[in-house]
Amino acid sequence: MVENARSINIAASILLAIGILYIVGPLYLTLSTASQSYEYMLRNGLAWVPGTELFANMGKVIHDTRIPVQMLNSMIVAFSNALATCALSFLSAYAIVYFRIRWAGVAFALILATIMLPLDIRVITTYQVASNIFSPLNAVLDFTDLNSLIEMVFGSTVHLELSVLDTRFGLVAPLVAHGTGTFLFRQFFLTLPKDLFKAARMDGAGPIRFLIDILLPLARTSFASLFVLTFLSGWTQYLWPLVGASTPDMQTAVVGLARLVPDADGQVPDFPMIMAGAVLVSLVPLTMIALLQRFLVQGLVLSEK
Amino acid sequence: MSSESSMFSHRWLPVLLLAPLMLLIVLFFYVPVFQAFYWSFFLEQPFGGGSEFVGLQNFQRVLSDPEFWGATGRTVIFMLTASSLAVVVPLMLAIAADRKIGMSYPARNILVWPKGIAGASIGVVFAFIFNPFVGLMAPLNSLFPGLWNPGIDGTDAFITLVAAHVWSGIPFNFVILLAGLRSIPPTMYQAAAMDGAGPWRRIFDVQLPLIMPQLFLTFVLEFTESITSVFALIDTITGGGPGGSTTLLVYKIYVDGFRGFDLSGASTQTAILMVFVLILAACQFFFLGRRINYER
Repeated sequence: MVENARSINIAASILLAIGILYIVGPLYLTLSTASQSYEYMLRNGLAWVPGTELFANMGKVIHDTRIPVQMLNSMIVAFSNALATCALSFLSAYAIVYFRIRWAGVAFALILATIMLPLDIRVITTYQVASNIFSPLNAVLDFTDLNSLIEMVFGSTVHLELSVLDTRFGLVAPLVAHGTGTFLFRQFFLTLPKDLFKAARMDGAGPIRFLIDILLPLARTSFASLFVLTFLSGWTQYLWPLVGASTPDMQTAVVGLARLVPDADGQVPDFPMIMAGAVLVSLVPLTMIALLQRFLVQGLVLSEK
Repeated sequence: MSSESSMFSHRWLPVLLLAPLMLLIVLFFYVPVFQAFYWSFFLEQPFGGGSEFVGLQNFQRVLSDPEFWGATGRTVIFMLTASSLAVVVPLMLAIAADRKIGMSYPARNILVWPKGIAGASIGVVFAFIFNPFVGLMAPLNSLFPGLWNPGIDGTDAFITLVAAHVWSGIPFNFVILLAGLRSIPPTMYQAAAMDGAGPWRRIFDVQLPLIMPQLFLTFVLEFTESITSVFALIDTITGGGPGGSTTLLVYKIYVDGFRGFDLSGASTQTAILMVFVLILAACQFFFLGRRINYER
């Protein structure tokens, strides 16, 4: 199609240039300030040109703060979040799509509803549950009077207590309780031809064999997309790790970074050091985006279709 | 026969497959949601000090608290300003990046980067960039003292929050809207061009109507997102201040619950916020969703 679209192309180019500047600008200022000394920042404020102190500032972050340990925590949390979400969502979507069960619709609706109310909204009571994950069981036992029955038989009531606060399991589990992955895999399964199933059945494949030998290899890209998506979401969580872990050695890097900024007013904080921390903390997820961007974009599109 | 033969019949295997995720969802989603509503009718003592049924007293207390209404008002204002910007800015960028021009390739790559940067990280960065003494506005501030100070002026602090929110929201909305634009068949453009519609005209007559489903979806998700994910930004940029002018509901709940140990008050506000989010989604779905033609 040949037509004169010069005016709109120029406008589009300018718009995109502004957009790129808006995204890259703060990142550039972060990096350039991270490479200047504290004295330079006090004299000149924002650093528009990079300096030579980047590694010195990063060294300060690595030696003087708990960021290295916290980055390891972030790594573990993000990785287990991604792995657990992929595995559990795959299994539950498989059960919903490929089994003749009457309550499949209800189960799917129950899983999907989790998307409506994010963890940040229900943080107060999620914290209470995490402080004793048997509390719902205890409540049920009390409420149904089963406990008085147990008391009669065994002589004492049952009251179980197990806190998952300050554990890595506790940091990850509430993040996995989310429906996006199941939704994504369900959508994928529904696009597969029905003949695939029939052919596999004809060849004598049972549910487990069909799952492992046929669906698993076909779903590789879906796995990659969901993995990237949930890894990034695990790494960038803030409110839950903030309350779910109270010791610095259990907190995640993002929380640790926010804690580098002193609360009290007065002296200008050591911004170059804090910016170096921000660079360190963002290094892993940004590398991941650079390398696996295709899967990220696909995951974002798939998870909302 | 058709749908029957494409499914396994098994009694316990599907239950077993669903059990792990379901267990987590019940434990960390349904129990907390239920408990928020349950606690809003009880006076809870912190640290497990017992509870007492108080009926609607918690709601009376919360609803007569001017701070609650202030935080609710600010939440609504933030939701309207930040989420419309967080959809409109990526929309314009997506329409621009959909054209075959040199800039669109780097843009498609770079505009996804913020997805990897935590809200709290960019909050720390924006707090520095918009710092009145050493940040971007410092030179202007020395010329016109008091022009920009998010530490004192609530509006400045609010603007900083909106700017940071739009920054973090670009990747998702951009990708979704661009995917919508790219799925418009080229014949549509050709037909419109035949009818004499130039490229500017086609934005409004072809592109916008045809990506309505994506636009609707980004709005629905963005409304909830702007209410909840703003916590990380508030906590790192403004701390709710100055003078409570950036204390949104999600931050107030955190402060009341975790710093003030007012579990009943925090649960009651959580319950109100949940109902608000659900009503909002339902409204958008019924009033907006019906008018959109999903057919292609």
